[in-house]
Amino acid sequence: MRLLTTFSALAVSIGIAALAATSNPVQASAFTQAEDAVKYRQGAFQLIRENFGYMSGMVRGEIDFDGEQFKQRSQALYHLSNIPFDAFSGAGENATDNSDALPAIWQNRSDFNAKAEAFQQAVKELVEAADSENMRTIRPAFMATARTCQQCHEGYRAD
Amino acid sequence: MMNTLTIKLWDGFIRSFHWLLVVVLAGLWYTGGDIDYIDLHHQLGLVMLALLLTRIMWGFVGSQSARFSYFLRSPIAVLHYFKAPFKREYVTHNPAGAYMVVIMLVLLLSQAISGLFTDDAIFFRGPLAHLVSNDMVRSLTRYHKQAFDYILLAIALHLVAIFVYTLMKKRLVGPMITGRKDYPEDAQVKQPKQRHGAFGFVLLGINLTWIFGWLG
Repeated sequence: MRLLTTFSALAVSIGIAALAATSNPVQASAFTQAEDAVKYRQGAFQLIRENFGYMSGMVRGEIDFDGEQFKQRSQALYHLSNIPFDAFSGAGENATDNSDALPAIWQNRSDFNAKAEAFQQAVKELVEAADSENMRTIRPAFMATARTCQQCHEGYRAD
Repeated sequence: MMNTLTIKLWDGFIRSFHWLLVVVLAGLWYTGGDIDYIDLHHQLGLVMLALLLTRIMWGFVGSQSARFSYFLRSPIAVLHYFKAPFKREYVTHNPAGAYMVVIMLVLLLSQAISGLFTDDAIFFRGPLAHLVSNDMVRSLTRYHKQAFDYILLAIALHLVAIFVYTLMKKRLVGPMITGRKDYPEDAQVKQPKQRHGAFGFVLLGINLTWIFGWLG
């Protein structure tokens, strides 16, 4: 019995070690195909858009404001806000087929990164504002986030 | 000094329509492309739509001088007009101006209608965007952004024309404010039948009501 436990523990350890050994290179180039990187980006932006759209309904009074719901959505957005940008490098570098990403992204990479960071920072502040559960605090933070979307779309996303 | 003949050229609705168009269009231009004002832009767009539809209806049932059948001529008439643009007196739009009216109405109407199908990819979705495919939404959004330049071009042409007519001592702006225009007594012009502008406002009210009810 004891032996079995030891063996299983060992097996699990080896498994984790093996996973750790392979997961680094896998993470570094998560996509081997440009196509997959594009899908990944688009999927992430789709989720961002859906969550943001839901919050916008509350900010603009189309649906009743629910502080708890808003908080959850803002946290979801926070987790999502980092996701798409990895897929603009590696296999996603210069990937513009079936994509709205413009080549300008890679021509002005540091500006693009700065705009992505501005978005992430704005979302962080939106999460903090959402804690207040007060629309007066939330609205400016929400609009500030929306502006960071627009500022990056302009010039980096096809019309 | 020659005696003049005063003619009622533009009814109250046409004049109000014209200047409301200027104000609403300026508002749309100011609020366009700025996400902070997108909801206001949407509302103003609906006002624009109501104004345009009412003007088109007025072009069939309104005062004679406002009717399409009264001022639209053949393209050949336009060519003739350009041979001697300042010779004759008109009691409505001149043949070239008539086409300008149509172009302006088409451009503005396309702009207002395409706006209903736009999606800004951030948080605004036009009230009719769900009726068409995503590709169509993309195309119409692109059109909505680009076509404003055509409208600006049409306005520029309109202003240049007014300037040229002013140089030729033809007053166009005055009648659009007062509704009246003086003609030389021998100009052989006939008073166009006028309808009270209030009827136009009733139509406008009806159009605003259903448009805001449906798309507001």
